[in-house]
Amino acid sequence: MRTDAPSVPAEGVAQATPNRRKAPPRRRSPALRKAFPYLLVAPAVIYLLAITLYPGIFAIYQSLFVVRFVNWTWTGLGNYQAILQDREFWAALGNTAIIGGISLTLQTCIALALAYFAYRDPFIRGWRILYLMPMLFMPSAVAFLWKLAFNDGRVISDMLIGLGLVEANVDWLGNVWLARLTLIVADVWQWTPFLFIIFVAALQGQDQEIEEAARLDGASWPSIFWNISLPMMRPVIVVAVTLRGIDITTMFTNVFVMTQGSPGGATETMSYFIYRQGFRMFNFGYASAASVLMLIMTIIIAQTVVKRAFHSGKK
Amino acid sequence: MAKPRKTRGESLVLRYAVLGTWALICLLPILWFLSIGFRPRTEVITPEPIYFPTFSLDAWHLLVSDWPIAQYLRNSIIAVAGSVVIDLILAIPAAYALSRYEFKGREDIGFYILSTRMMAPAIVAVPIFFLFKTVGLLDSVWALMLIYAAINLSLVTWIIRSYMLDIPKELEDAARTDGASDLRILWEIIIPACLPGIITAAVIAAIFAINEFLFTLLIASTANAYTMSVALANFTGGSDGIIYNAIALVSFIAFVPILILVILIQKHLSRGLTMGAVKG
Repeated sequence: MRTDAPSVPAEGVAQATPNRRKAPPRRRSPALRKAFPYLLVAPAVIYLLAITLYPGIFAIYQSLFVVRFVNWTWTGLGNYQAILQDREFWAALGNTAIIGGISLTLQTCIALALAYFAYRDPFIRGWRILYLMPMLFMPSAVAFLWKLAFNDGRVISDMLIGLGLVEANVDWLGNVWLARLTLIVADVWQWTPFLFIIFVAALQGQDQEIEEAARLDGASWPSIFWNISLPMMRPVIVVAVTLRGIDITTMFTNVFVMTQGSPGGATETMSYFIYRQGFRMFNFGYASAASVLMLIMTIIIAQTVVKRAFHSGKK
Repeated sequence: MAKPRKTRGESLVLRYAVLGTWALICLLPILWFLSIGFRPRTEVITPEPIYFPTFSLDAWHLLVSDWPIAQYLRNSIIAVAGSVVIDLILAIPAAYALSRYEFKGREDIGFYILSTRMMAPAIVAVPIFFLFKTVGLLDSVWALMLIYAAINLSLVTWIIRSYMLDIPKELEDAARTDGASDLRILWEIIIPACLPGIITAAVIAAIFAINEFLFTLLIASTANAYTMSVALANFTGGSDGIIYNAIALVSFIAFVPILILVILIQKHLSRGLTMGAVKG
């Protein structure tokens, strides 16, 4: 691998082309032959290092300072000490887990059920396009859609009143769990299709004969689903849920548009916490320390869960 | 739910009840939002929600007169298209190496590329902001292009790699005995053979780039770099609050081309979304 990793991504791009062109077409020396695959991956790797490793190092460095605009004051591990005692930080971590966990569970169950009912249906193509639609809107637009439906336009309240479930307008931002619920609804609505599409493909790809045999033996559909389809889909479910889980834990847009963390920080996710510390309160050192902690968690999860998920899903 | 045996008819009723319900859940909010885009502002936020508004092009006139909507659209297109091109230039050789060569550290390099997909944007947000500030690229479409490319590079590489793995080795060997160089094989055999994978990767990368919000929010501060996704959040009329009908209209302007692209790659979508892990 090349060692002159540039700190500016633009250079990575510029280097990409010469690398590829330089390789002589025939009769390469053994050394070049050996280096060839590395030269092919180098531009991509350098680009990614510039955008991950460099910011990582920068964040670690900055996290050791109290940053007030242009004044950087050395504080050592002071930011970390403060953050580990910061109730808002732990609350953000908890909120991310709660909102993400509930949301992910719901969309996985809904997507599984829908996929199981849909995959043999003659109109599967139609269902797929229909169910896909929420996913194809920009997340910021979807956040506004639900902000209007829940809060500003009072449509959901109106419908609940119509159904006789509540008596007056619901103040969705006035209650911790209701505010979280609005974020969960928005996420489930938009991203259940992601899992649905993948699960349908997995079900369609599996061996139909085993299922057919079970059906002829008189097994009921729930038992076929539970004992045959689900175990066969396991590797796919693991990969899909892992990918979705990663995205959910980085949830930002919906929080930014819909709740801004209210009420009382109950819907503040990790991403929003970092954003608020950095770009609202200009506590960049503090935000960087939070970033580093989140990065460590990401690396641990990547090395354990994701590596395994993609190894099992590879075949 | 565990009734013992079902006749075919019964389970069909259940099937369509379930599928139909979710179809309504998907569609009704979209249709309602569409109606928001085509109603006058006075009928958006009202004491009692209005379900059957009067038709109006208010939002459209407002967009054209008060906001540089064409500029937002142009920014989105330049940043997104540019990022996809960068991704393909970087990802195709990388995927080729990862799928067709044996070399030390291949698995680790592949996994490193994959793992960048897991980096929360917020983690690198502060450093990236400072980086672009230092090089003077804040509020620039070029910065967005570079960021979008970085976000999607892992995804594009892995999708293309997965399709390249499927190409039979014999195809390559035949060309090699004819004396073709590795790069010519890549260009003339591998790329055409995995074109569906490349297109799928490009479409999915484009969608994620169009959707990107956090980095764009931090980097863009004027119409110079606002994309559709972030411009939405600025459709506010001061004391009048959020201008929902304009937001709705812009959502649909972005939605239609995305829908068309996705229908084109429909068959490959599940494979693309799982970065090649699921072949559908």
